[in-house]
Amino acid sequence: MTEIALSSVFKRRSDIRYRRVEDEAVVLRQSAAEVLVLNEVGASVLDLADGLRPVGAWTEELAARYEVDREALARDVLEFAGEAREAGLLELVEGGGP
Amino acid sequence: MTFAEGFLVNPDLFPGRRSGEPWGDRSLALDIPGGPYTFSGLTLAQEEGVRCRFGDLCRPAAEGDVHTRVFAAPREDFRELDVRGWEYTLDMDHGPAGVRFAGLRLMARLELEPALAGALWTSEVAGDLFAPALENFLRALTSYRLLERDGAVLHAAGVVDGEAAFLFLGPSGAGKTTVSRLCRERGGTVLSDDLNAVAVPSGSSARVEKLPFTGDLGEAGAGPASHRLTALLRLVQGTEDRLAPISPARALAALVAAAPYVNRDPWRRDRLMATLERLARAVPAYDLTFSLGGGFWDILKPLRP
Repeated sequence: MTEIALSSVFKRRSDIRYRRVEDEAVVLRQSAAEVLVLNEVGASVLDLADGLRPVGAWTEELAARYEVDREALARDVLEFAGEAREAGLLELVEGGGP
Repeated sequence: MTFAEGFLVNPDLFPGRRSGEPWGDRSLALDIPGGPYTFSGLTLAQEEGVRCRFGDLCRPAAEGDVHTRVFAAPREDFRELDVRGWEYTLDMDHGPAGVRFAGLRLMARLELEPALAGALWTSEVAGDLFAPALENFLRALTSYRLLERDGAVLHAAGVVDGEAAFLFLGPSGAGKTTVSRLCRERGGTVLSDDLNAVAVPSGSSARVEKLPFTGDLGEAGAGPASHRLTALLRLVQGTEDRLAPISPARALAALVAAAPYVNRDPWRRDRLMATLERLARAVPAYDLTFSLGGGFWDILKPLRP
């Protein structure tokens, strides 16, 4: 599986639907009728995964919203992107890898 | 596996339109939430089988009902399947204007535009075999009908206690039937331990409505069919009894997972999620850890209106 870097570009998979409910997100994976709940940061990442902005830009955006260490945030976001890809929520945009 | 391959000998011959050879010229309607639902093209034996299964819910067919035509299909069109130990689910194929599905000796179409209408092809002519085939179809039909009327069918146990009505949510094996039985032993009325309807009209209270689809607990007794919903309870098995609030998002996730048929339909999922979000925001939701001692019944008391 392709390594994920801050230059990677992701988009939400076409078979998922999600709704923001207060500070969480409910995600429905259509293929499995599986429903997940994401926390606030996970929900924000889904919002940001538009297939255009790289992961590094997500980190900048989130750093502006939350008072957290930027390096730690970048690590967390990369880790979440990997988990979300494995969970079938995000997919790498072709040509958008490192 | 392609659509219907598991049930039909020749899936390519699935009917393209709501047409065929009716079994007979009899009809009747079922008065359940979202209905009445008329079924035409029945034989006398099929009609009697449905009357035996649904009893007082049967009505004469009328204009304006949700109409399903029943057609004959040769037995040899269907695969002979050994279903022992098998969890039976319909095979569904979703489209923008309708849904096709196949099951044990049945094929069906639901057309959603311009108005919901159904067609059911089956080889079952004996009343006691036809009624279960019709019920399997009706469960899906009701799910789609309620969705277009700001409601949903939920795989949940519904229990009423005086003015309070609770929905117990959880996957198969979570304890819905067990909790229902414990509630009944303590004076509660079980609407169904398997499938219940919810109505979530904009601007008014959410309600739970009785459906004639039950699980291991069997048929519920008589009583009012619609109740204002007091709380959503996500079941957690444990050795003690405890109630813990959950967020609307977690409630919505449990509701979507519990909405059979339509939660796999890519053309209807946005509407389903919007409807169930209204429900999750309108009704308090909790994780209910319960023990087999039934002590949870008392800790639900503060929730009662």
